[in-house]
Amino acid sequence: MKMTELKPGEKAVITAVNAQGEIAQRLVDMGLVKGTTFKVLRKAPLGDPIEIQMRGFLLALRLKEAECVGVERSGG
Amino acid sequence: MKKHEKIIVVALAGNPNSGKTSLFNSIAGTHLKVGNWPGVTVEKYEGFVDYRDYKIKLVDLPGTYSINAYSPEEVITRDYIAEKRADVILNVVDGTNLERNLYLTTQLLELNPKIVIALNMYDEIEKLNIKIDFRMLQKLLGCHIVPVSAVKKTGINEILDHVIRTYENKIIIPSNKISYSEEIEKAISELQRLIETDIVFSEKFNSRWTAVKMLENDLLVYSYAKQSPAWIRLEKRLPEVMNALENKLKVSIKQYISEDRHAFVRGAYKETVKDTGGEKKTITDYIDSVLLNRALGLPVFLLIMWLIFQFTFKFGELPMEWIQNFFAFLGTKANILLPEGILRSVVVNGIISGVGGVVGFLPNILLLFLGLSFLESTGYMARAAFVVDRVFHKIGLHGKSFIPMVTGFGCSVPAFMACRTLKNRGDRLSTMMVIPFMSCGAKLPVHVLLIGAFFPASAAGNILFAVYLFGILAAVLSAKLFKSTIFKGDSEPFVMELPVYRMPTLRSTLTQTWIKAWMYLKKAGTIILSVSVIVWIFCNYPVNEKMNQEYEAKIEVKKQDKVITAEAKNEEVLVIENELAAKQLEYSFAGRTGKLIEPLIRPLGFDWRLGVALTAGLAAKEVVVATMGTIYALGDAGEESSGLTERLRRDPVYNPAIALSLIVFVLLYVPCLSATAVFHKEAGEFKITMFYLFYTMTAAWLLAFAVYRISRLLI
Repeated sequence: MKMTELKPGEKAVITAVNAQGEIAQRLVDMGLVKGTTFKVLRKAPLGDPIEIQMRGFLLALRLKEAECVGVERSGG
Repeated sequence: MKKHEKIIVVALAGNPNSGKTSLFNSIAGTHLKVGNWPGVTVEKYEGFVDYRDYKIKLVDLPGTYSINAYSPEEVITRDYIAEKRADVILNVVDGTNLERNLYLTTQLLELNPKIVIALNMYDEIEKLNIKIDFRMLQKLLGCHIVPVSAVKKTGINEILDHVIRTYENKIIIPSNKISYSEEIEKAISELQRLIETDIVFSEKFNSRWTAVKMLENDLLVYSYAKQSPAWIRLEKRLPEVMNALENKLKVSIKQYISEDRHAFVRGAYKETVKDTGGEKKTITDYIDSVLLNRALGLPVFLLIMWLIFQFTFKFGELPMEWIQNFFAFLGTKANILLPEGILRSVVVNGIISGVGGVVGFLPNILLLFLGLSFLESTGYMARAAFVVDRVFHKIGLHGKSFIPMVTGFGCSVPAFMACRTLKNRGDRLSTMMVIPFMSCGAKLPVHVLLIGAFFPASAAGNILFAVYLFGILAAVLSAKLFKSTIFKGDSEPFVMELPVYRMPTLRSTLTQTWIKAWMYLKKAGTIILSVSVIVWIFCNYPVNEKMNQEYEAKIEVKKQDKVITAEAKNEEVLVIENELAAKQLEYSFAGRTGKLIEPLIRPLGFDWRLGVALTAGLAAKEVVVATMGTIYALGDAGEESSGLTERLRRDPVYNPAIALSLIVFVLLYVPCLSATAVFHKEAGEFKITMFYLFYTMTAAWLLAFAVYRISRLLI
């Protein structure tokens, strides 16, 4: 499943990053790599972007970018 | 002054929000030099400090999360370190966010092993009860780690000691390398062998780093390597190595390498850091549950923006008045001190009023940047972008475009400067291009005058509101146009850290604000000074001597008149003087320009007199009203001059359609010279500035024409 399918409060682990070029690089540089666990905190008031918590910091990303991130729910 | 033999160049590198700039300030104090990195609008800070027998030169590199050469910041940092322009690198890491920060460290170490890590925010780490095994971490990374607190100013001397020891090669810790997966390592050593056949090249660039970057498909490294004789062999072997690797890994090599780095950092972090804090709610969580709340987020955002806006323009009003009064006072003094003639006129009407105009913006700029710097350093700015990004993304801009655009309602000058927060060139330039359409404070008198003259008072408010909306609409449509044409695809992905809320120190906020203000004064001031003299010449020359003498004679005659009262006499003299001023303006280059461009502006319903006013309005928008006053021989037409209103209303040449057309034209055409000078400085490219002049002029003409024709049919 994709990161965009998660609801606020749900935890998941990243399984793949399906992007190319700058977007892929930005995601990977910020630590969105295979095996990373994270929690969806909230959506912006207008529904996009979303905010996640991982590796001890907070990250905001647009749905367009979150689409590229394959995830698997990890309970909680 | 003490003479120093040796200078050590220390480059500060680190993530955004790692406290790099405040550490820089803590070390260098006020000995700052601010400039720009060549060719880009990224600010460059340099500082100096004398320590022991050395003069230490600090260079603050832009904050980056990584050095993959995507953004200008990354390119600057990468090139600076890769080309070994610094003797020692001071890597500032946020100790409370160690895992993310160390990712950059791994990349820096690969590039240049002469690194000292400043583990910043150590006071917070102790408070949060996070335990770090320094000895182990130093061993894993292969460099010194010094705990510091930039805010509390602890550990500063220790840093300098370590920098010097690293410089003197008295390093006790053996350097360690980040090991990648076996397949990658094999490829690296094969490439490394080939690279090292060129001794000159491998002396200049670290061969291991070059090999890794080649595997990562780094175009800049390719361009370096292509100049090396080793390239002949590399060119043949590289694709084979990479193809074999890609087939084995199933993902891109680049991604794989990044994953390896993250894995290394994760391992080092787990082994050395004990965070006993657990998953308790932090202050940031509580603040965000309000500020980013789905229902409250937008209203709170609007409130904060409104406050900043009020703060800037309300508090700025009074000092602005003082400054204007001060310059008026200077003008009067100069009037008395200097002999009558050209010199006096240039000094008073050209230099003093021109420079006064520029300096008058200073309170607004100071306050705005104080506000913005506060929002930025508390951590709210990133959240503001998060809240409004949806709307701005729709029109092709970025969440961060909001602040400059709102600022544009006050004044375009600080608005252009506020665009620096937009890192992507396309986003930044598109935003800058549409800022002039946000009706600024100086355009208000023009709107008020014309609406007052041609429309009933009951409709005035609505019309004024419509004018602002019209500007916003033009901005939105233009932004969409730019992003789908000239700045197409050139957009920043929104992957943004929301930093933990922090109270900024007063000192760093003030320093940042002052630096910005000083740059404005220095750069814009010099341009404005010369331009205001040119504009003055334009409006005053050539002088019609014959006409001058005729009027002088008339005034003389009037003065001798014994029939009327002194008061009436003065008034009549004033009328004659104003008539002369009007005639002289008509005779001047500005007047001739007005007549020259009349055919161009005829279709908009304007005559040559408006041509003069609009030309003079290039200096500043308020001048449009003042010039209209002069040209209608009404003397000093203030902003609420009812005389001019009456005169315009009675003039058979004018009608509401022309008024609307003029409002639209003034709203959209090239903003004042101060703004244009700042635009040019911020855009940094001559052709962009030319395009901006062309675009605003064309848009103003076309829309004023449309408005004029349509309202002729309706009114």
